Amino acid sequence: MNSYSLGKHKERAVKGAFVFCAAFSIIALLIITAFLFISGAPFIVKTGVFKFLFGTNWDTVSETPSYGIFPMILSSLYVTALSVLIGVTIGLFTAIALYKFLPKKAVPVIRQTVNLLAGIPSVIFGLFGLKIIVPFLRDYISPTGVGYGIFASSLVLGIMILPTIVSICLDSLESVPKEYYEGALALGATNEQATFKVMLPAAKSGVLAGVVLAVGRAIGETMAVIMVIGGSTDMPTSLFQSVRTLTANIAMGAMDLTGDSFTALISTGVVLFVFTLLLNVSFSLLKKEKKEKAEKKK
Amino acid sequence: MKKLVKAIVAIIAVAAMLTMTACGASFDANKNVTVVTRGDGSGTKSAFMEIIGLKGKKDIAGAIIAADTAAVLVEVKGNPHAIAYDSLGYCTDEVKKLKVNGVEATVENIKNGSYKISRPLSVVYKEGNMTGVNKAFYDFLLSKNAQEIISANGYVTNVENPADYVKTDLSGAVAISGSTSFYPLMTELAKAFENVEKSITVTVKGGGSGTGYKDAENGISAFGMISEVFTQSKAESCTYHTAALDGIAVIVNKANTMESITMEQLKNIYDVDAGENAVKTWKQLGA
Repeated sequence: MNSYSLGKHKERAVKGAFVFCAAFSIIALLIITAFLFISGAPFIVKTGVFKFLFGTNWDTVSETPSYGIFPMILSSLYVTALSVLIGVTIGLFTAIALYKFLPKKAVPVIRQTVNLLAGIPSVIFGLFGLKIIVPFLRDYISPTGVGYGIFASSLVLGIMILPTIVSICLDSLESVPKEYYEGALALGATNEQATFKVMLPAAKSGVLAGVVLAVGRAIGETMAVIMVIGGSTDMPTSLFQSVRTLTANIAMGAMDLTGDSFTALISTGVVLFVFTLLLNVSFSLLKKEKKEKAEKKK
Repeated sequence: MKKLVKAIVAIIAVAAMLTMTACGASFDANKNVTVVTRGDGSGTKSAFMEIIGLKGKKDIAGAIIAADTAAVLVEVKGNPHAIAYDSLGYCTDEVKKLKVNGVEATVENIKNGSYKISRPLSVVYKEGNMTGVNKAFYDFLLSKNAQEIISANGYVTNVENPADYVKTDLSGAVAISGSTSFYPLMTELAKAFENVEKSITVTVKGGGSGTGYKDAENGISAFGMISEVFTQSKAESCTYHTAALDGIAVIVNKANTMESITMEQLKNIYDVDAGENAVKTWKQLGA
């Protein structure tokens, strides 16, 4: 064997390794999707799609068990909406403050602090919620005397998604050409007017992308939520009431349910998967739109 | 300078919130009862619900579902209006155990049958199988050595005047499977047995009480574990030995003024179909 063909073999082997690495995540995604749909979808059909999605009774211990996940879908949506509202309000204004309104020296400090927040494991957020937020809400805020529920979860999640929103909003504000800002000032606008009326609208699609990403994070979060949500399978009627999200439903039963009840958990996973898939698709659409706009400008 | 002031204000606010949370909670009988229960797979839950007459019923509205025995204790410790049930051997002094129908939850009262919320932990086996290593393990279950382990783990023993275990020269394997409630205690017992009988191995597997009956009946395991009262029809050719009793304590926060509760009240607290008998506040329970 001459050195030329040896080199060729080597090259081929290395190429194969690269292709395998590139294909690995695709294979993983395909296997997970296949697992979810093959083991979860038939159960949804068996129970009846409408009955499974819009049934309000989840009861695994009865002699005639019923599996309706509508209360959990609702709870998931409520928690996500409220936490995104909290997170986006605080996060967007943080980003704006960092962009133009804070002394230059304070900016890196605050930015680093926010980034540190992103590094805290979700179980720590859960502990914080369980030991501080839930008892505080229970003793001072809640009208029902229950600290668990949608409000507690939204607070915890709102803090969790802050870093995502702040960094994406700040990046998109900074990517708006400086001339916009200077032009506005030249036309007689104040700092505030220029930021809110010119820069923010120009960064709109980036901010929206941040929101979508935050929604994805909030709807999929499990550990922090499970510790402060309570876990009851009732319909959510109050912010301070023990309820259960889709993720909490899966995590609470996965270790000790068997048979049909366990399959129902996988089916819950299918619903959650579809939700997050839709979010990701809309995120990439927003990103694409942003790119096209940026290219047009050039 | 401004920043410093802001930082100090923020720190004070957080500190105030922490202290308020730490010492603010006190018991108020007009407040709602926070009902704490366990997940659907819990053996403690199924035993408790069966004893208070609510077998197969779903959780009441608004119940807090604790992930495990430790989580139950944490919630009751911190929440002045919580009520829960937990394995007696697991409860600490940080919570208050309520008397049930006037009877205190103690090892003696479970033994003499006056404390009602307890369940037997039994092994199911075939008489004909009790030879060699299986007989040795059965003798060990009846021995003084085993009773000491059972008491030390907070369970109630069920053997009068046990004798010391006599070591055999046998070697082989003993298979045990069934109830997950019995599992932790059985693991301890098996470990101690293996320490004495170096050449006998014991394998303990879970699966639930149903598995315990089936495996013993079909000869898959020498001993099936069950955490309910033995039912002959579930394993026709088998007999059983109750190795220990496991109490379930009804617990509330230390600040709670209640000392005693009745079975009827417990049922009304945990019954999803209690209707107008449903208990909402502590006052309704007489606190």
